[in-house]
Order: sequence, then structure tokens, then C-alpha cells
Amino acid sequence: MRKTLKELRPVYVVGIGLHKYQAASDTPYVTLGLTAIRQALDDAAIAYSEVESVYSGTALLGMAPSRAMLRHLGASGIPIAQVENASASGSTAVRQACLEVASGICDVALAVGIDKPTKIRLAHDSAGVPDLVTGHMAPFTHFALLAHEYMHKYGVSPEQVAAVSVKNFSNAQHNPYAHRTRPRSLEEVLAAPLIAGSLTQLQCCPIGEGAAAVIIASEDAISRLNIARSRAVRVLSSVSRSEKVYDAGLDPDTQLTRETLAMACAEADVGPGQLDVVEFHDAFSIEELLYVEALGLCGEGEAAELLSRGTFDIGGRCAVNPSGGLLGMGHPIGPTGVGQVCEITRQLRGEAGRRQQPDARLGLAHMVGIGSVCVAHVLTREP
Amino acid sequence: MSELYIDGASPPCLRGQACGACGNVAFPPNPYGCETCGAPAATLSDQALEGRGILRAFVTTHHGSRKDIAVPFTVASIALNDGPIVRAVMIEATDASLNVGDTVHSVLVDGHPDDGEAHPHIKFQRTEKP
Repeated sequence: MRKTLKELRPVYVVGIGLHKYQAASDTPYVTLGLTAIRQALDDAAIAYSEVESVYSGTALLGMAPSRAMLRHLGASGIPIAQVENASASGSTAVRQACLEVASGICDVALAVGIDKPTKIRLAHDSAGVPDLVTGHMAPFTHFALLAHEYMHKYGVSPEQVAAVSVKNFSNAQHNPYAHRTRPRSLEEVLAAPLIAGSLTQLQCCPIGEGAAAVIIASEDAISRLNIARSRAVRVLSSVSRSEKVYDAGLDPDTQLTRETLAMACAEADVGPGQLDVVEFHDAFSIEELLYVEALGLCGEGEAAELLSRGTFDIGGRCAVNPSGGLLGMGHPIGPTGVGQVCEITRQLRGEAGRRQQPDARLGLAHMVGIGSVCVAHVLTREP
Repeated sequence: MSELYIDGASPPCLRGQACGACGNVAFPPNPYGCETCGAPAATLSDQALEGRGILRAFVTTHHGSRKDIAVPFTVASIALNDGPIVRAVMIEATDASLNVGDTVHSVLVDGHPDDGEAHPHIKFQRTEKP
């Protein structure tokens, strides 16, 4: 019979690590990845020799990047694999690590996300199914169209959509790993160069480089390796979905997110209203409003008004993208989904410093990948 | 590769695809199988879709992501009178004259270096009220 993650043996995030997200540099991806992994190992206070399996989330590095990086931690012969799932590559690596530990195949698994920017080649473009907008539908144009439709449907202004960026940059200024660290006024966000529709450059995420790592462990490993139980954060659910054919007129991105998040909450036995902190895939400002509503944090068309009232600020009812999100912290592709789990873990441990959502007990991480795919995890600090 | 239009009508029809198994009508056509029910390509047949519809949303893109496509250009989400919702490039380079709810129609245009398209292809245009 089919089982959910929660019905298998419990799995925990016991170590987190990051390399700062930043503009492309000469730094080899190996340095980025090793920085994040060593920090995660130090955080868990375990040696790499205790890691039994590694999943590397990466979409841009090319074939077989893992061993060329991991061998410098001491080549231990463990299974390693790359996971490519577009922007959700890192989230999918986390999921694979969770499933492997939950199933009992191993006790300690590492999920690492690494990437460096390069020209992106999409398989979709060679699938042999052209359409009327081939070459004209970059992601920013796609999401600008969704923004136009949303604003028209609910009477929301471009300024209200741009306010997402203002909040997320404000959060990112306190995140030492963030790509964009400067707070911006609404006027600055609106005055940035227009990209598509009402979306300005400061409403589109920066694609840079970086790395993020999480160590997933079983209760057996926590006991055997003397890992601090008080800092372990349980992964309650892990859900991965791909786009279906939805009724005409429904935006597929929002529908896919709606059903994925509903499953992630149901499998964790958590209502959306119980979530204290959420990291959404806000590659473009409009997405945060769409996904806040798709999760059920408020009704349709209400997100912009609640945003302006501080509902989604740190200290508000539910802190949305306290890391700065993709808009502020950045979107280096492979690392992004892993970095979200780092942020949720930090929040649930109460170790997020000036970004701390008070008394955060339940968190959710959500990524979308072009295609489209959607991956979500619900995490909790156990009493 | 399937052509995206069926020439002859005015305005030109889009080449839709009807599934003989589940009845779904899709655009663009594909040579592989039905996205709704998985029936193989042999089950799919051409269904002409009238090149007329209503503007649901539109945006002007100012930032080029391909060197062979000139900016600005405007793309729209269009509810075809025959049902499917399609996305298309507009004849209008900017959205200054467009409104949600406007009636639009298809136009067959020659390939142009600025379109990144060497062959005749379909764009849409706002239909002037008589």
C-alpha cells in the first residue's frame, strides 16, 4: 500500500550549510559546494565519513559534477547521483535524501545544490512541438502575462505587486548569504528597467552562483552519532508533482502549486493557517501573491492587501520568504531549493537572528521548475 | 513538424488537434499523442480553429532574451471563439492600443529577421470595430 513520508521512519535535518549566493565569478563550483558541505557537517558535528549517500541538485554544470567535488572530502565509495529538475533540482535532491533515509536504506544522506550560470539549453525547445510564441516566451514574459491577468481580475495595481520585492529585499538585507543585500523603496523597484509588462528588473530574481547543503538523518543516526536532538528539525512531508491538463482559463502554474501544497499539508497533517514561516518560489514578484493564495494563507485576490498590512512580514501572521526569497536571496538554480530548507531549519531552530519569525514551529518550502514541476516540504520543530 | 495553421480561410485558421478517444481539442498540435488521455498520435486528427478570439491578457516585453528577436514585442493570451486559450505574438509591437476584452484575429505574416522566424507564421491583431 502507498505510504507517505510521515508513515515511514522519521527523518530530520541535522545540518545546514551555505555558500553565499552571488554574481558569477571565477570561483570553481567545487569550492562553492565544499564550502556549503563542510559548513553543514560542522553544523551537525559529524564527519563526512558518516555520510552514506549524496544527491547533488544541479541543472547547469554538465555531466557528472558530483565526484569531482566530493572526492576532496575523502573518497568513501558511497553512492552519489546528480538530480536535474530545473529550478526544483535542489528540492528534488532533498526529497531523494529524505526518501532514502526514511526507507531505511541509509541513516545519513546529504543533499547539496550547486550551480554556476551558463547559457541554458531547454529540452522543450527541441521537443518538436512549436507554438505561436516560440522564442518570445521567456519566463519573465510568461509571469508578466500572469501578472496582467491577476491585476485585471482582482483590481490589483502594479505598485501592489512590486511591494513583494520591497518586503523580500528588506528581509534579504539581514541574510549574509543573499545575492541582493540592499533594501529598496517601492519607488526604486518601480523605477528599475522594465523587463516585461509591469515587471521591472527588481521584480525578477537574479541568477547567480552559490551552494547549499543539508544533512538528513534518522533517529538511529542521531543517537549513534550524538547529534544534538534539540537542533534536529523533522521533515513531515515531501511532495513532488508535475503539471496536468487543467480546465481552460486556469493558470497551470498556480493550479500545480495549489495541488502540490495541499498534498504537502495533508500528508504532514498541517493546515495552512498553522504555518509560521514559508519559503516560496518567488522568481518573479507576482508569483508570491499567486502562491500565497494557492496555499490558502488567504482567499483569492486578497494577498496584495494583506501584504500591505504586514501579514507576511517577519513578525506577521506567517513570515513569507524571510530569507529574502529568490528575489532577494537569489536563484542560483541548483542550490535554491536546498537553501530554502536551510532557511526553514534555521527559523525552526530559532537561530535566524534578525530574520527570526518569533516562536516558529511549522514551516514549508516550495519550488517550481520549468516544465512545469513543483516540489514542497513541510518541516517542524518537535516539542 | 506540424504547421500551426491551415491556410485558405480569412482570417487563417489555427491547426487544432482533436482526440478521437477523449474528445479533447488542443493547440498546438503534436506528432506524439494526446496530453489529456495518452492516446497515440494515430487517434489525433486536425481540427480547424477559427482565427478569432478575445484578449484575456497581454504584455509588452522590453528585455531581449534572444539576439534574433527584436524588442519591444507584445504577446497575448487569447480565448479563441472555438474554445482553446492560446498565446500568440501580436502585430502591435506595444500594448498602447490594446485592452482586455478586445476582439482579435489571426494574420499570416512573412518570415522576418526580427521575428526569429524565417517562414510564414501566424500573429494576431486587434480587430478594428466596423
